[in-house]
Amino acid sequence: MKKKSFSILMGVVLTFSLLLAACSSGSNNGKNNTPPAATNDSAAKTEETDKPAEPEKPTEITIMLPLNIAETPPDTIKNELEKLTNTKLTYQFFPADTYEEKLNASFATGSLPQVTYLKNQATFVQMKEAIRDGQFWEIGPYFSEFPNLSKLKEEILNNTKVDGKLYSLYIGRPLARQGIIYRKDWADKLGLAAPANVDELFAMMEKFTTGDPDGNNKPDTIGLADRNDLVYGAFKTASAWFGTPNNWGERDGQLVPEFTTPEYAATMDFIKKIRDAKAMNVDFAATSKTDQVNMFTSGKAGVYIGSMQDVDSLVKDLVKNVPTAVVDTHSMIAGPDGKLASWSIPGYNNVALFPKSAIKDEAELKKILAYFDQLMTPEVANMMFWGIEGTHYTVVDGKAKASADKELTEREVKGFKDSVIGEPETNGMYDGFHELPARIHAEQLIIENEKIAIADPTAPLDSKTYTEKGTELQEIIKDATYKYIYGSIDKAGFDKAVEDWKKRGGAQIIEEYNAAYKK
Amino acid sequence: MQEAHQENAVQLVRVPQPRTSELKKRLWKNKWLYVMLLPGVLFFIIFKYIPMFGLAIAFQDYKPFKGIGGSEWVGFKHFERLFTEPDFLNILTNTLLLFGMNLLFYFPIPILLALMLNEVRFSFFKRTFQTLVYLPHFMSWVIIVSISFVMLTSDGGIVNELLEYFGFEKVNFLLSPEWFRPTYIIQVIWREAGWGTIIYLAAIASVDPGLYEAARMDGAGRLRQVWHITLPAIRSVIIILLILKIGDVLELGFEHVYLLLNSMNREVAEIIDTYVYTAGLRQGKFSYSTAIGFFKSFIGLVLVITANRLAKKMGEEGIY
Repeated sequence: MKKKSFSILMGVVLTFSLLLAACSSGSNNGKNNTPPAATNDSAAKTEETDKPAEPEKPTEITIMLPLNIAETPPDTIKNELEKLTNTKLTYQFFPADTYEEKLNASFATGSLPQVTYLKNQATFVQMKEAIRDGQFWEIGPYFSEFPNLSKLKEEILNNTKVDGKLYSLYIGRPLARQGIIYRKDWADKLGLAAPANVDELFAMMEKFTTGDPDGNNKPDTIGLADRNDLVYGAFKTASAWFGTPNNWGERDGQLVPEFTTPEYAATMDFIKKIRDAKAMNVDFAATSKTDQVNMFTSGKAGVYIGSMQDVDSLVKDLVKNVPTAVVDTHSMIAGPDGKLASWSIPGYNNVALFPKSAIKDEAELKKILAYFDQLMTPEVANMMFWGIEGTHYTVVDGKAKASADKELTEREVKGFKDSVIGEPETNGMYDGFHELPARIHAEQLIIENEKIAIADPTAPLDSKTYTEKGTELQEIIKDATYKYIYGSIDKAGFDKAVEDWKKRGGAQIIEEYNAAYKK
Repeated sequence: MQEAHQENAVQLVRVPQPRTSELKKRLWKNKWLYVMLLPGVLFFIIFKYIPMFGLAIAFQDYKPFKGIGGSEWVGFKHFERLFTEPDFLNILTNTLLLFGMNLLFYFPIPILLALMLNEVRFSFFKRTFQTLVYLPHFMSWVIIVSISFVMLTSDGGIVNELLEYFGFEKVNFLLSPEWFRPTYIIQVIWREAGWGTIIYLAAIASVDPGLYEAARMDGAGRLRQVWHITLPAIRSVIIILLILKIGDVLELGFEHVYLLLNSMNREVAEIIDTYVYTAGLRQGKFSYSTAIGFFKSFIGLVLVITANRLAKKMGEEGIY
């Protein structure tokens, strides 16, 4: 019934396509009823592409994706993309903070657009049930028809498969970006070198707190600035240094969850030690990322643990407040047993799915895949990732150097940047040209990190119970971890929480993962 | 003023039914009034009544792709899951406790404030004060919670700095279960108390001044007048507001609680609303969270009916 009235609507819309083309381009109404731009004034302007005698009608595509900046970007990049790919694109940006809500609400009401980006691996796990239900197109069988898409890395595609079938395109990310960003000027003043192991790291944080590194004779500095996030905050990165497996690890031939290992407990003790020494923001369990970043950029805190690529934005704001500040990155920190390690992601940080509720037939799917195939050419990928050459970036030594007007690039390009499928190796876009020494160092370290990266063995595996209540159960562990660090429970109390986790479905998860692992 | 309206409404109903032609004439005569009523009626039908059919998914394993028509019916499965959930009792207790605190600590405060404001004779002062206590109502919870965060954090929050200055131990307001409820209720009072006085002040304003004069003649002091005239006069307003409040039993301000919630205080801070949000929107369990929401509304309904009955037994009007 809904379909029928929809097609009638479509007919009406088409009749007035000319009229509506003007209004609908600005509307994000969650439906894919954007009319084709019959006037095609964008295609007329296209000079760089060979225009066939009979211009093909542009493909209409509606795309929903998370936005990591405050405002929806203007159409600058979108218009260029449409020209390059002969499409009529409707981008629906929703703030990343509340993206899961938006995603689930659209999903529940059957109004997902043709291309639906998820938010991260966790939302992907959540969607698996619906994927198994057949609510999204399986795209694997069509891959061979698209030369550029077939370049996507096999091992990463494998990590995104559901029951061995491919449903999504992935957004590539370096495997291991984790490390520390620290105030080198403070370390130099206090006579500290980059920490070679966790004890030196602790010593640095303590010195930063007590040694008056900013020289104002006031005890107003702390070592570490952390936030209420056990994964992308400091905790997980530190846990890798202690030898904790990445989510799951093999012990005596069995897969076990990370929080049952003694290394995880050692990490909790480490963070507890920092907190007890007041060498970090003691309220970190209630601190948002914004507040955490503020602590660093205002010159209050000296160490930030997380993605080393954050250094650009941190430095940008820090030098406004402390012009003399010098920042460096570092990641080779040995654990108690002297080993180096870095946890890694499965090579992607997000995926795009294709809901059957919005794409009605194979032909339509192929047209959309053809758009993504074009996205994987250097020309289009660069446009999306770096912006317009000369305006948003310039090419230096075969690398893209972002323009000095960072605000403009952020406003116009950032929204699209986070949705580029693949990575430079596969889509041919430029690597970044960096000037900030700390960032150059970070990029080197990211390559080094890859050699010591610990993978999550469950990334390509499936557990029905985990899909169903994994996230929910994880809360138990998360709460217990914080409580242990805050000293409101002891190790026995933590073990009790682990038991609780097992009782409420964790034991099943362990069983299912092990069964899948042995296959 | 509210009462006056209600009386009018009652009188309208009591007028003998006009004949059909007369009714038509009447309708025609007031047609613009009905046209103006239309958007309101439509609003309630579209946004309040039609969505009620959505409750059906509480009894299904809802699959968005298949829709309400095609999803499998599972009876009370989700309710069973809710009642057997280990956290359920805890969440219900938290909800009811916060509600109890609301009734006990927040509810009387606007009444007291209104009585006090009413005794202020200096009108400039009275109006200024009134405006000042209204204002916090217009700040969103995000702002109020952020202000509290800045004041209460143990990393240089002013309250903790003061405590330390005067030689006390720092208190971890934000991250300890003991402080969640006091923080919550103080924020509620701070934001809402002034706003809550509006209706009471209006009710007090409608009291016949003659009564006070008579009481003064009989030698009643200020307090006596409050006790024997003002309070009885606003008694029915208090009761109606109390019943309405009870109807909102589980509406504790989702946003507010959610903002205060963290890993350290979850055992006292998780309430039905936040649980529905986490289960439904963050984890995509539509049927389950609908069942929880349904359960919550059901409790609310039972409580309103009970409260209304009680009010009527005590000789008050009630809300229906």
